[in-house]
Amino acid sequence: MGQSVDLFAAASAEGAWTVSEVTKRAKNVIEAGLPPLWVRGEIAGFKAWRSGHWYFSLRDKSAQIRCVMFAKQNFRLPAPTDGMQVFAFARPSMYEEKGEFQLTVMELLSTDQGGLWKLAFEKAKASLTKDGLLDPARKRRLPLFPRRIAVVTSPDGAALRDIQAVVARRWPIAELIVVPAQVQGAKAEASVCSALNRISRLPVDVLIVARGGGSVEDLWAFNSERVARAVAGMPMPVISAIGHETDVTLCDLVADLRAPTPSAAAEAATPDRAEVLQQFGVLGQRLARALRTASRHVVERLDRTGDRLIRSMDHRLEKSRALLTAHSARLDALSPLKVLARGYAVARDADGNVLKRVAQLPSGKEFRLRVTDGERDARVQ
Amino acid sequence: MPEFSKQLERLEAIVRRLEAEDLDLDEALKLFEEGVERLRVAREQLTQAELKVKKVLEIESPS
Repeated sequence: MGQSVDLFAAASAEGAWTVSEVTKRAKNVIEAGLPPLWVRGEIAGFKAWRSGHWYFSLRDKSAQIRCVMFAKQNFRLPAPTDGMQVFAFARPSMYEEKGEFQLTVMELLSTDQGGLWKLAFEKAKASLTKDGLLDPARKRRLPLFPRRIAVVTSPDGAALRDIQAVVARRWPIAELIVVPAQVQGAKAEASVCSALNRISRLPVDVLIVARGGGSVEDLWAFNSERVARAVAGMPMPVISAIGHETDVTLCDLVADLRAPTPSAAAEAATPDRAEVLQQFGVLGQRLARALRTASRHVVERLDRTGDRLIRSMDHRLEKSRALLTAHSARLDALSPLKVLARGYAVARDADGNVLKRVAQLPSGKEFRLRVTDGERDARVQ
Repeated sequence: MPEFSKQLERLEAIVRRLEAEDLDLDEALKLFEEGVERLRVAREQLTQAELKVKKVLEIESPS
């Protein structure tokens, strides 16, 4: 043996293949020639084993194939029933122990609208509704100015890049905390739950759970009741951007906000820096105007006080002036000059004494006589 | 890290008080200075900030 198979030798009794050799060879041929593919058919003879594995046949009018779907692949699905039309994504292979051609099913979809998924979805949704987790009143408001924004998403996906770009443009003052998670595949549910659990213990203001594009079947992790309950239990508001406008996931339903894309989620999570700056500008103007007004009030008060001061001074001056006028009038009336003006005269001696009596004026006495417009020397005869 | 909502609240409170008109000049000036300073800091933080991205590695939890 060891070289290429000799047809003649193979036909002889000595050169006969063992059963195992044939099945092994058949398995290799099948697996090499038939890559994993989608098969459409009807479920028949469905049986779920205690191990969790499912065994059934897929058939159409003229043929049937044995199928196995392991627990690892089917745990998130409700069991299909016989007669159900399905699509199965399966790897054709050979079940060597029984020498049976077999499909190892990895994905199973009902061809009915939504099919299995819809059933699973409705079941989980009913359970969440019963616990009040879909109550619109539960929805929390997003923070106005978030400091820490957490993101649960695939670390190498476009979703993260988009979110990062939007936050960097709009609100770079925030800190973006990225918690990578597997968002599709069998481990997605556990991975997302563990990421959520991690974030629930961090001081985060808002959380974005995101996943870009992908097929409907890939959304299942976000339709898992476990993930939905974890999202509902987050201590901070959650924005869900699972990436399908038409297919609402349970995660979308329990989240505080559902965004159509990861970019939209990032926009919802952040204020626009330009708008906030504008708001600051307006505040600055109000501040300046308020100060101007405040100082004008002070100046006005000062002016008013000054006016009163001046007015009171004026008043006093006025009074003094009137008094002065009155006094001067009286003084004026008393003035001797006034008497002289009326024709009286004053006689005084050389020393200036006023000569009022005849005795003071003997004959020959020289004196000065003061009349209204001047003085003259005189002598008594 | 500034708490932006608090920052804005304080600023608005300052403006409102200043606008209330019953302040003496000294008090008004003090408020104005505080407001201007807060505005300056906030504006600077906003214009100069660069997004910090921190990756927190998930601890695989067996389930």
